[in-house]
Amino acid sequence: MDDLPAQKAEDPAGRPPVSPNPLRRGLIEDRTGDACALVIFGASGDLTKRKLMPAIYNLALSRSLPSGFAVVGVARRHKENEQFRAEMHEGVAQFSRRKPIDPALWGDFERGISYVTGSFADAATYEKLRAHLEELDEQRGTRKNRLFYLAVPPAEFETIVNHLKASGLVADPTHERSGGPWTRIIIEKPFGHDLESSRELNDTIASAFAESQVFRIDHYLGKETVQNLLVFRFANSLFEPLWNREHVDHVQITVAEEIGVEGRGKFYEQTGVTKDIVENHLMQLLCLTAMEPPISLSADAVRDEKVKVLRSLRRMERSMVRESVVRGQYGRGFVKGEEVRAYREEPDVAKDSQVETYVAMKVLIDNWRWGGVPFYVRAGKRLARRVTEIAIQFKKVPHTLFNTPDGGISQNVLAVRVQPDEGIALRFTTKEPGNATVLRDVAMDFRYGTAFGSNTPEAYERLLLDAMRGDATLFTRRDEVEEQWAFVDPIFDAWREQPTPPPIYPSGTWGPEQADDMLARDGRRWRRP
Amino acid sequence: MSTAAESSAATSPSSLIARLERELRDIWKQPEDPTAPPLSRVCTMNIEVVAPTRELLERYTPVIDEVTASIPARAILASLEPEAPADEITGSAAAVCALEGGKKVCSERITLSCRGNAAARAASAIEAFLVPEIPTALVWLGRVHVDDPVFEDLSNDASRIVLDSEYTSISSVIGVAAWARKQRNAPEIADLAWTRVAAWQEMLARFFDDLETRPLASKVSRIAFKQAGEPGASIGPEAALMLGWVGTRLGWQTSRLAGALRFKRPDGANVVVELGSVPRPKGVAPHALAAITIEAGEVAAQPALRGSIERELASGLSDQANTTVDADVMLWKCARSGLPEIEQRVRLGSNKAARWLERTLHRPIRDIAFDESVAFAEQVQGLVIS
Repeated sequence: MDDLPAQKAEDPAGRPPVSPNPLRRGLIEDRTGDACALVIFGASGDLTKRKLMPAIYNLALSRSLPSGFAVVGVARRHKENEQFRAEMHEGVAQFSRRKPIDPALWGDFERGISYVTGSFADAATYEKLRAHLEELDEQRGTRKNRLFYLAVPPAEFETIVNHLKASGLVADPTHERSGGPWTRIIIEKPFGHDLESSRELNDTIASAFAESQVFRIDHYLGKETVQNLLVFRFANSLFEPLWNREHVDHVQITVAEEIGVEGRGKFYEQTGVTKDIVENHLMQLLCLTAMEPPISLSADAVRDEKVKVLRSLRRMERSMVRESVVRGQYGRGFVKGEEVRAYREEPDVAKDSQVETYVAMKVLIDNWRWGGVPFYVRAGKRLARRVTEIAIQFKKVPHTLFNTPDGGISQNVLAVRVQPDEGIALRFTTKEPGNATVLRDVAMDFRYGTAFGSNTPEAYERLLLDAMRGDATLFTRRDEVEEQWAFVDPIFDAWREQPTPPPIYPSGTWGPEQADDMLARDGRRWRRP
Repeated sequence: MSTAAESSAATSPSSLIARLERELRDIWKQPEDPTAPPLSRVCTMNIEVVAPTRELLERYTPVIDEVTASIPARAILASLEPEAPADEITGSAAAVCALEGGKKVCSERITLSCRGNAAARAASAIEAFLVPEIPTALVWLGRVHVDDPVFEDLSNDASRIVLDSEYTSISSVIGVAAWARKQRNAPEIADLAWTRVAAWQEMLARFFDDLETRPLASKVSRIAFKQAGEPGASIGPEAALMLGWVGTRLGWQTSRLAGALRFKRPDGANVVVELGSVPRPKGVAPHALAAITIEAGEVAAQPALRGSIERELASGLSDQANTTVDADVMLWKCARSGLPEIEQRVRLGSNKAARWLERTLHRPIRDIAFDESVAFAEQVQGLVIS
């Protein structure tokens, strides 16, 4: 998060410290990324065309790309540079947030795009890549800095990582501190499918890369509202004193989607919503909501605090899973007035599938700040609305002064909407005008789009730029990933031991009734965001 | 963008304020037509705009409307014409709305015309409309006289004063900055010309980002500026601010020798500063910065680094949303001894007044580099294009 340019640093080899660029002192204009070659493995896949290249192009439009920059696609399918550039042009034209393509910039941008054909398992591919990158250092000024992006299934990680190491494409991380060339690697989730596989994957990556060189993308962390959570909590003196067990009754975190599996039945059959959403995005939202103030905004200071939260999560005993976790699977129903099919009727989904498309949990954080405050989290597909929000529900007033016919005064709620309509709303109670004292809930509603305009960068833009700058704050560290798996693994163990199918909920509703019952047992109910 | 009810009539200031407040309240009443999209009032700051004539204010009103579409605000626009024969304040109130997600998101615009002796009361009329607890930006169109009581009163409530030295002069900005330095709790000063050179600053900084070139920042031997205009003209605000910025970042000192301005690096070596011109195409502002060349190295005659940034004046797009014909391309080039030349093209944003004001209002209020650069620019005002 820290946008400062190069800092003075001690070099282990005893070289003189690096002074910052004096022209960057006090510069308000955003710093660009460091000069580098971005190498995308799996460049013929959808992610490159839909997300990565449009994000890079938008960075170019915003003048955020360094002057020495190149993109190299690597994939098995044979392609000439021209064909790859044409495909990327098509992708950018279709998926860029800013259209149409600016021809004056594209010509320049396109010259920096190239393609290397080769099998990931063939050492010759990496020799070819190395020679090509050296050419780019000369021609494009990429300064021997390499940013590898693995846009490939995790099964390929080990092969690629081992070959990168063997072919000398990974720089010594200590050189970077003294301003020498750097190597970084970005990997996409899933980071394993359980704790053990996650550890294996991390070990594989660690065999070639130091943790400081590894950038694990969780694109939720690139969203403006998620980043704003830190600002909201730690730049306002008003909320932090209330942000604890003394004042908060409970917290609800919702990640709801209207869509079904959208042709990803095969993938979903292997994952389910818990691994797809809860283990990563939802846990990250929970961490940012519950963490203590970090000592600084440096990557490790922020991530240290998140890890403490994860370590404080009460582990789910088997009996707890029965009481505190509800899963569900969508059946037929109506979403926005359209009839939609059941999960089991989706292509590539087993007719008797037991995969959960909905999960709700009561999570407890055993620490001083949150002891006894439940965090109710839920995520699901084919729910009534697409919405991601964090709602802090404050405690009731200790004594009711006002004669209210419905028996009480509503609790104050602070709702942070991550998507859509990003913003923050505070619900409180007022008196309706008139001679009688009639209470009414109102909301103070702040919306990002309204206050600041809606043309904010896509998450991938921010995250790619941060990786080019070497700022890992918005990326997930190894211990975070492993703690996240350590929390969800026992839930799967319990489900395996109780092979009852998940209850079916009609599409277009807010999930199975059992989820409502779970909160009702605590005298609470889910919000309808 | 749409405008709701608006009315205008001459009356006493207090009745006028009461009437305009009533009109503003009426705007936010529930629409009688249940099918009409609901109006949402949004206000993140007060923007006061003061112009020396009604005509100028009218020309500037669409700029403010465009700015408030992206920075919802209460805009209070006033023209001050103390020499006008009638002593009167007239005004109107309107909602300026943009449709977003089926809702009309609206800012408020209050327009005041203060003529004759009534101009002296303009500040109190404007202040009556300020929304409390949010920042206030004072946009002063035209030359500022710091002893003008209206300016003095309004600047007391403002968190930032926005000027545009392109349309006044760099000396006007220097004067206001000097005044602000002497005040206790003075508002911060912003200049739209400073916002316009921000992209140039970032591009210039790139030459010294690499570890190998970073030491050369202290070895700059020559810097040349080109601005749009005629030979013989004085240095324009953009070039002056850029020179001030480079000079203060790199610790240069100025001195005079037989009246001629000289620049010295901290190590005592001279820096050659040149100012040239290029023809000004139609639609390009006078004095617009057109090129910068920088050379650095141990031996001035054989620079180890030669960098240039050239703005292709009037190369902007005309067929795309949010761009104008002067959203120019800049060509950045870096040549270093023994290495191939590297170049990059970037696009400046559209050069519309609304865009620069909007970007200025989005910038942090306090900008020490600006203060320092203005102080340095004071010393280079006399530079003339050779």
